[in-house]
Amino acid sequence: MSELKRTLFYERHVAAGATMVDFGGWEMPIQYPGGIVEEHLATRSGCGLFDVSHMGRFRITGKGAKAFLQHVLTSNVSALEVDQAQYAIIPNENGGAIDDAYLYRFVEDAYILVVNAANAEKDWAHLTREIKAFDAQMENKSEAVALLSVQGPKSKEILSDMANGAFLTEPVKNALGTVKLCGKSAHIAKTGYTGEPVGYEIFALREDGLFLWDELVKRGAKPIGLGARDTLRMEAALPLYGHELGQDKDGNEIPVFAISLARFAVSFAEEKKGMIGRAPLEAQFAASSRILNRDFSDLGVLPRRIRPIALTGRGVLRAGFPVFKDGKEIGYVTSGTMIPRYVVERQGSLLETFTDQRAMRSIGLALLDSDVLTDDAVEVDIRGSRISAVVPAWHLRSDAPPYARPIVVDAPEEPEQAPSGNLPLSALNLLNKAAENHIWRQEQCVNLIPSEMTASRAVRLLSGSDPSFRYAEHKKTASFYDNEVFYYQGTKFIDEVERALVAELRRYFGCTEVEARVISGQMSNTTVFSALMDYKNRLNRKQTPQRLGYILNNHIIKGGHLSAQPMGALHDYVAVDPATERPAVVNFPVLRENLFKIDVEETKKVIERYRPEFIIFGKSMVLHKEPVCEIRAFVDEQKIPTTIMYDMAHVLGLVGPHFQQPFAEGAEIVTGSTHKTFFGPQRGVIAVNYQEDELKYDLWKTIQTRAFPGAVSNHHLGTLLGLLMAAYEMNEFGDVYQKNVVANAKSFARSLKAAGLDVAGDPAIGYTETHQVIVKTGYGTGPEIAERLEENNVVVNYQATPEEEGFTASGALRLGVSEMTRFGFGPKEFETLANLMADCILRGKPIAQEVCKLRAGYTKLLYCFDDAETNAALETLAAKSGI
Amino acid sequence: MNLLNDRKYTQSHEWLLDLGNGTYRIGLSDFAQHSLGDIVFIDLPKAGDAVTAESSLGDVESVKAVSEVLSPVSGKVSAVNEALASAPESINADPYGAWLIEVTGVFATAELMDADAYKAFCEHA
Repeated sequence: MSELKRTLFYERHVAAGATMVDFGGWEMPIQYPGGIVEEHLATRSGCGLFDVSHMGRFRITGKGAKAFLQHVLTSNVSALEVDQAQYAIIPNENGGAIDDAYLYRFVEDAYILVVNAANAEKDWAHLTREIKAFDAQMENKSEAVALLSVQGPKSKEILSDMANGAFLTEPVKNALGTVKLCGKSAHIAKTGYTGEPVGYEIFALREDGLFLWDELVKRGAKPIGLGARDTLRMEAALPLYGHELGQDKDGNEIPVFAISLARFAVSFAEEKKGMIGRAPLEAQFAASSRILNRDFSDLGVLPRRIRPIALTGRGVLRAGFPVFKDGKEIGYVTSGTMIPRYVVERQGSLLETFTDQRAMRSIGLALLDSDVLTDDAVEVDIRGSRISAVVPAWHLRSDAPPYARPIVVDAPEEPEQAPSGNLPLSALNLLNKAAENHIWRQEQCVNLIPSEMTASRAVRLLSGSDPSFRYAEHKKTASFYDNEVFYYQGTKFIDEVERALVAELRRYFGCTEVEARVISGQMSNTTVFSALMDYKNRLNRKQTPQRLGYILNNHIIKGGHLSAQPMGALHDYVAVDPATERPAVVNFPVLRENLFKIDVEETKKVIERYRPEFIIFGKSMVLHKEPVCEIRAFVDEQKIPTTIMYDMAHVLGLVGPHFQQPFAEGAEIVTGSTHKTFFGPQRGVIAVNYQEDELKYDLWKTIQTRAFPGAVSNHHLGTLLGLLMAAYEMNEFGDVYQKNVVANAKSFARSLKAAGLDVAGDPAIGYTETHQVIVKTGYGTGPEIAERLEENNVVVNYQATPEEEGFTASGALRLGVSEMTRFGFGPKEFETLANLMADCILRGKPIAQEVCKLRAGYTKLLYCFDDAETNAALETLAAKSGI
Repeated sequence: MNLLNDRKYTQSHEWLLDLGNGTYRIGLSDFAQHSLGDIVFIDLPKAGDAVTAESSLGDVESVKAVSEVLSPVSGKVSAVNEALASAPESINADPYGAWLIEVTGVFATAELMDADAYKAFCEHA
């Protein structure tokens, strides 16, 4: 046997007492003295440190680098931007895998391909052969670059500390960054092989490797051997070459599409015409699509697929064990063992936490007949005994960061509550509970949800009055000189109301046209998106309509509104870019020093590159004005044909000189919901500023038809009355209200800061220019603190900052001052509240009583008509409508 | 490596303790638990089963691998340490306390070593 190779970290492993083994020709630690179980749990609950310097690192450069990679990898390298990584398979001519790999692009003109240690020589030989046909070079950097991996919920904290708090990477999987860790330059990648939603791989110079290892250990990263690396990846159902990829136990090639990751990792984009193994991979893709559609008529090219398997009987799954279903052998276990987990408290809820108690489960992966369905019961032959098992959808979920959460097959289900059957009693209960809730929300607790507002008594009464049971569909009709024609009788009053509302809102926005029939902000957006798509296709109706693209918007992590995301209201209207095979959406770049603010200069570059046909401003986590003016000037100057919309959902009630005047600044369309900072009941609105003689006035006409009959038929007429009253209130009192909201927000932010809380944003402008204040509470603590505040009568929402992975990892609170401003809170009251909240957040002090007392003095809603005549009319309406 | 002088050891790393009333206790040595690593599962015979010297009496599994446990004696199982089923890791924590089975009616034994001989055997292993 040739001598085993050792990584740079060999001495560290030996010094730590690791058991060293031969792994693919490398002398590597299988485990440290604590053992595999300890190491597995340390990673899931803290931070595991892995020496992955045995893996192959190849650097590919040159003009033909991308073309070469498109040829030898299955992934779409055109979709890989700078500072991104992607998973790929190195395919052979038969549609099997030579290896699986990760491709990193830290800089514009070089790619790093990381391959399995045991396959590195084989991969190098293959790639060296293939690169000859391309104008590209490949260098083996395996020696020169130290490669480490830190994985687990605490890994971010540890790296942030080493980076002195500098920005690491975007908080999404596969994002890359270049930082200084304790003064040493390193590339870092938000990637890993553990299923951890938070974990990084670190590429550093060889000479800095040991120093970084020691610094990581000093900060609590725990060295993890190959044993736990295997159990972690198995729990995450990640394939390991030689088990789930390569050859099966009979020496036959495992098709690439046997692993479910292939559906993401294999691209058939135009640029990949020459990909090695393309034809068999296409056949596998077709087979895989049939199978996922439960068409099992032809399993020829994909007879078996890799599935998770969990033992429900006693024993331990091991690679090689045959699997049976209904007595018939259907495959075998490719990887299996016994895996530990921490038992959790409050399982299945956002407040789930680990206990000290451990549990073990035997799980693994299996190559099973392709017609096996998720949750099928199977049996595993364990040394002659048939032991029951199941094929679950997954063993672990990573979609609720910062923790990877084990999913056990026998988790108890919450029993469904059966209806009591006593309907009079149920009705009574509902009434009593609603009254209780009303008192709590309106008199005892402080509401700081920025997207909520209490409506005036007038708005509430009107919203419940008679038109709320009626229909009033109407349509502009050209034959009648574009007059609105109503379909039903009894609609004259509502016609009058709608006209008055439109006139009032035009005045509010300072625009030409308003559509008020949409009943939510989300519907306002889908209506506009649908209209834009229709408008785009209006000149050729004989083909399937083309979707919109490119679209420029705010990324949801940077505060973008859900209603303007591809996963939200844009879903059915955005094209897929065939080059990247992703939705044709790009995001506003933000300032490095203030992630809450759009970077105008960088945005201009993005606009030049993508020439977006549609630009959507607006956010739901919003501290700043949007640069509408600057971007309008730029697209006009560059003659870029586009449509600029401002989704003002959260700031609709702030339109004016104290915040922004979107149409004066150059927006063409404004959408929003009427019940956040605005005074209305829950509806939506669309406003445009097209003149009748403009070409784009046709887009306005399309917006109207997409509203009715496109989006609504009945549109909740009661609330239309309510909204008209709200518009009157806003046009009468809005100026003072808006001024006070912005002043209160700045003042609240300062008070929170003075009380010792970490307030996000730029202190130079008073942290905020809107009604919102963002308070950072510490990574992942948002949900727990928000719950604690609710128990103490302060209602807020937990919020992920632009550096965090998503709502479950939220380390902030989003606070809005608009509703309490309307109840009469001023700087003094917000200061009192800030101090109470600091007591509760920082010191866990109960504040419920004090909050209740504070609120009790402010239960009368302001900024609404309150004269004797109005009040008398309200009483009459209440009496007559019986509300 | 921890060794106790009150018992005998086999080449396959089991221990045998004479309880003095015709009953023998069987367990795994410290050396065995250490080389196995985290023990996560154990499969033992039932009381009343026969065991045969140098033949498998059951399996012990760690995260890494499965190993057979060879019986140091031939006889009949009189008791099984049921606590191990739910806490197999106690073998790692206390290999000489966490016994596997007790056997009576012993009529044959495997080759056994005392602590010193076993220590020497392990060092050469």
